[in-house]
Amino acid sequence: MRAGLVYLIIACGLLAVSHLQDKQKTKEAVTGTLKILYTILPVLIFVFVLMGVIQAYVSRETIAAILGEKTGVMGILYAELVGSIALFLPPAVFPFGGYLHDNGAAYGPIAGFVFTAILIGVTTLPVELKLLGKRFTIARNIFTFIITFFLALFIGAVLG
Amino acid sequence: MKKIFKNDAFQFLSLSMGITLLVFAVEAAKGRIVVRTVYFTLLDVLDIIVAVSIFIGLFQVWVKPATIVKWLGKGSGLKGFLLVCTFPIFMGGSLFTIFPLLKTLREKGARVGALASFITAWGGKAPLLPLETQFLGWPFAVLRLSLVVLFAFIMGVLMDWVGDGPAKMDPNKEAREMA
Repeated sequence: MRAGLVYLIIACGLLAVSHLQDKQKTKEAVTGTLKILYTILPVLIFVFVLMGVIQAYVSRETIAAILGEKTGVMGILYAELVGSIALFLPPAVFPFGGYLHDNGAAYGPIAGFVFTAILIGVTTLPVELKLLGKRFTIARNIFTFIITFFLALFIGAVLG
Repeated sequence: MKKIFKNDAFQFLSLSMGITLLVFAVEAAKGRIVVRTVYFTLLDVLDIIVAVSIFIGLFQVWVKPATIVKWLGKGSGLKGFLLVCTFPIFMGGSLFTIFPLLKTLREKGARVGALASFITAWGGKAPLLPLETQFLGWPFAVLRLSLVVLFAFIMGVLMDWVGDGPAKMDPNKEAREMA
């Protein structure tokens, strides 16, 4: 069964329990839920359009060709940039990492790609900015990029 | 009428429409890729998005700010750090599904450092371990997962140092007084 469906069933179960406990509070909860959906769905659609545009203009083969050639520090930086810009849903990140490895990329750049692909998203920026604010978003993304660099360097040194 | 144009939902949707139409106008084949991506991604995440929104709705009415402050607020100490640096590793979902959750946590008095640790630890992605080991091998997966905890800890310290900004009021103080 899809993970999302499992979550949905659990969520509805909790909603039912909540309803039995306190009808008024549950009503407020549902209003809250609708408000959240109203806030995030339009931003998400915008994010998905950006993903689509990237998908349409940058092929995965191009990315692999670039990352397979570059090595060392520059390789990691390139990989981080690609991971930050290209939007992969998390389940697609590891297969693509394997694909990069098959195309000659070392573990350091792959680690840089994996971390930034999961944790940084130029395309998710609108959501983060809207919900968590400018200061948080800018600082978090910059720090994530920098620390990823050192972790990738370390992973590259250990695994070669 | 003016109000509609200032509405965020309206702006994002019209911007999305505009970009899609523009790509279509330039090259129809690319436009189809954009529409397909939007359609399939939305289909892929819709159930999780709805589920998370229900969780947050319930969370907002049932969980008291004092509880969040105790675990994730100022002075929650090592116990709080351990929680946010490990627990999210086992959660699933995409980045945009956890932002709304974090917003709620923050409104209930969690520190920014705790939020940053949470996001980073969530990047550990333990539910995807089978994929990671299959494509990149055990040594890579184990090394990366153990580094994630350290990563989350460092992010928490750094983001606490950055802080919430002078303009923001301190929700912790309010919640502590209420507690």
